[in-house]
Amino acid sequence: MGLLKKGKHFWKKILAGIFILIAVAVFAIWYIFNLKFEDTTTQKSNYEVNGIGLLNEFIKDDSAANKKYTEKIITVTGQVSEVETADSTVNIKMADTLTDAYIIFAFQEKNIKDANLLKEGDEVSIKGSCSGGTYSQILETHYISFKRCILIK
Amino acid sequence: MKKTMLLLALAAGTTLTFAQKKKTTTSATINFDATTPIDALPKATNKTVIASLNPKTGEVAFESIIKGFAFSNPKIQEHFNQPNWLDSEKYPTATFKGKITNLTAVNFEADGSYKADVVGNLTLHGVTKPVTTTATIVVAGKAINTSTDFTIALADYNVSGPAIGAGKVLAEPKINVVANFK
Repeated sequence: MGLLKKGKHFWKKILAGIFILIAVAVFAIWYIFNLKFEDTTTQKSNYEVNGIGLLNEFIKDDSAANKKYTEKIITVTGQVSEVETADSTVNIKMADTLTDAYIIFAFQEKNIKDANLLKEGDEVSIKGSCSGGTYSQILETHYISFKRCILIK
Repeated sequence: MKKTMLLLALAAGTTLTFAQKKKTTTSATINFDATTPIDALPKATNKTVIASLNPKTGEVAFESIIKGFAFSNPKIQEHFNQPNWLDSEKYPTATFKGKITNLTAVNFEADGSYKADVVGNLTLHGVTKPVTTTATIVVAGKAINTSTDFTIALADYNVSGPAIGAGKVLAEPKINVVANFK
């Protein structure tokens, strides 16, 4: 009789364990599927740099610069060289007039309206996620791309 | 009268020269859509693509930084870039170089919508494969707006993984490229 009771207790424990495992797995899947990028507004900058200085770092050694900056949150300060409107978006550019190298900032969906208010010559600080930089065969110059940007000032 | 004719001829010549110069944009967009009925997450947009179009020769090209693709979900973006997927550390860019094969069907000097047949090579994940597509070209004054849709087979570019087999990522994602030239 005591042995039967012990056996029932054992199976109850196993079933509870399986149930907990399934619940954890379902929660983990739900959590991963519902993850969203944090709003750039609330993210801390890993680096605060000057636009021309950043371009020079990439031109000098783009491999080292990519390792340092790619997928990092960076605040870049500089002068707007172009407001490029396209299809459904507006990108802001900072260019080095000597080399034609440029940085381009694609804004977070809800912050595109801020980019729309900027004009050539404005002094700005833009925070965003650096996608890296490379040499363009089409334009024959270096460029650095940013995504999920916001305007700081 | 002669003066007017001369001025008109000059104006026409200037327009023709302008229209036939190679055009570029640094804000072309590529939409990548590998969503399936069981997973709506593998979807991203890159809004900082460089594109060029030469109305005279019909040559078209684009370049894209792989890490420029913005996903809504950080985990999916991480998977997209990791070594067993697009390996963006090793292959940081995707490029396309091609040509409009029916250039006579597109009049870059007259406003209108045209269908252009484009043939070229897409290099992705270190693999170059031919791509054939039809682009819509809308000429409106000095602006030329282009758009095209095509699919790529990930296996052709040596991209594979259990997520494709499990039906969570489309084996042949839809690619949409939009470039507005001014």
